[in-house]
Amino acid sequence: MSRAKIRCMLGMLGTDVHSKGIRTLAQLLRDEGVEVIYLGEHNTAESMINAILSEDPDVLGLSFSTSTYIHYTRDLLEKMRVAGVDDVPVMLGGLIHPDDEDVLREIGVKGIFGPGSITSEIVEFLVSVTGKPLSSQA
Amino acid sequence: MTSLKLSEAEQATLDAVLAGDRRQAARLISRIEASDPTVAPLISALGERGRGTAVVGITGPPGAGKSTLLNTLIGQLRMSSLRVAVLAIDPSSPFTGGAILGDRVRMARHGADQGVFIRSMASRANLGGMAAAAGDALTVLAAMDFDWIFIETVGVGQNEVEIVNHADTVVVVVTPHSGDAVQAVKAGVLEIGDIYLVNKADTGGVERTLAALREALHRGRGQHQWQQPILGVQATTADGLEAVVAALASHRDYLGDHPEELFERRRRQTHARLKALTFAELQQRLDKPGAVRDLLEHWAGEIVEKRSDPRTAAVAILKCLDITDA
Repeated sequence: MSRAKIRCMLGMLGTDVHSKGIRTLAQLLRDEGVEVIYLGEHNTAESMINAILSEDPDVLGLSFSTSTYIHYTRDLLEKMRVAGVDDVPVMLGGLIHPDDEDVLREIGVKGIFGPGSITSEIVEFLVSVTGKPLSSQA
Repeated sequence: MTSLKLSEAEQATLDAVLAGDRRQAARLISRIEASDPTVAPLISALGERGRGTAVVGITGPPGAGKSTLLNTLIGQLRMSSLRVAVLAIDPSSPFTGGAILGDRVRMARHGADQGVFIRSMASRANLGGMAAAAGDALTVLAAMDFDWIFIETVGVGQNEVEIVNHADTVVVVVTPHSGDAVQAVKAGVLEIGDIYLVNKADTGGVERTLAALREALHRGRGQHQWQQPILGVQATTADGLEAVVAALASHRDYLGDHPEELFERRRRQTHARLKALTFAELQQRLDKPGAVRDLLEHWAGEIVEKRSDPRTAAVAILKCLDITDA
């Protein structure tokens, strides 16, 4: 009787303040039985890594609505490697352009959910990447 | 003392946690939350060999400013380079089991500070599980190199009282905004606070709230010598926070000077934890496939057929539970 729950950390980097999307996702995931560790806006790579160290999330989700996401994501993933926490899969959401998906996957992003993504796709990704069932089904 | 034999991997985890490895500690807490039965010997070893740092509980009604207060408090303690750990509990949805753990947002100022360890934990409606996970998680943190450990409760109902089962010092936070807050304090929380804070002291009515608390506490003082400080604070600006830090240190000293009272607190905490663990164990045995569950099914049928009654059946099932069977 495993009571392991999916712990998903959600946050935004830099000066991006358009948090409507990530707040909505946090609620949708909660309604699917996920435990969401919500970091809000204005995080740095360093504060996210510090949060990973103490929160032990199964997945990290970032939301972007500015065009600087490749720069921020590359920086974070590099620092995660140095800190030895690059085993935590990273997913991206928000205004992600389809043309950038190849680059993002190359630098190590595991899931990309741009405009038009639906909750069930994200949930499916979480279940497959964590190997944990949704608690509401347990 | 019983020293349970640890596997090589578990021994490595133990050494890492005792040496202050935060990621290993975080992973261990995840295993505790997932009810992994193999963590038991590790927790025992950490309880035996760790520092056993005292735990401060922060409780109060929702919106009283518990997280904001902690944020400022951490700032004060970090000015003296003290290392701080926080276990922040947020509610789980009773419908889906999901949760949004948002306490880190209030404490974002310390997000990148490596001298601060913040762990968010969902309350997971399930009673025994909550008590077991928080208790064991605190054992992990208390075994590490932190100078101060805080646990922040969910801000509602009976959880407010349950904090006494986890903390050596209990801080109750209220605000002058609602008469209800003081009413709630009068009704139940009055017996558990070692320090009372009236937050949002910049808003009107703070004097009245302070006076109401003073009056209520004066009447209710028990047999202990500790006089609960009642302080007005403004968590957003750190106004009055130095007095809070002084009160925390003074209560810690008080417990150091009164070992019999500390013993009594620890005994009460252990009693509650033991009871919760026993309940969880019992539940697990009733649910797991086997003779006991079959017996449960059998009696359920008997009762519906009116050949027995629930109370008789429950006693019979309890008698059949092999107490020593793990």
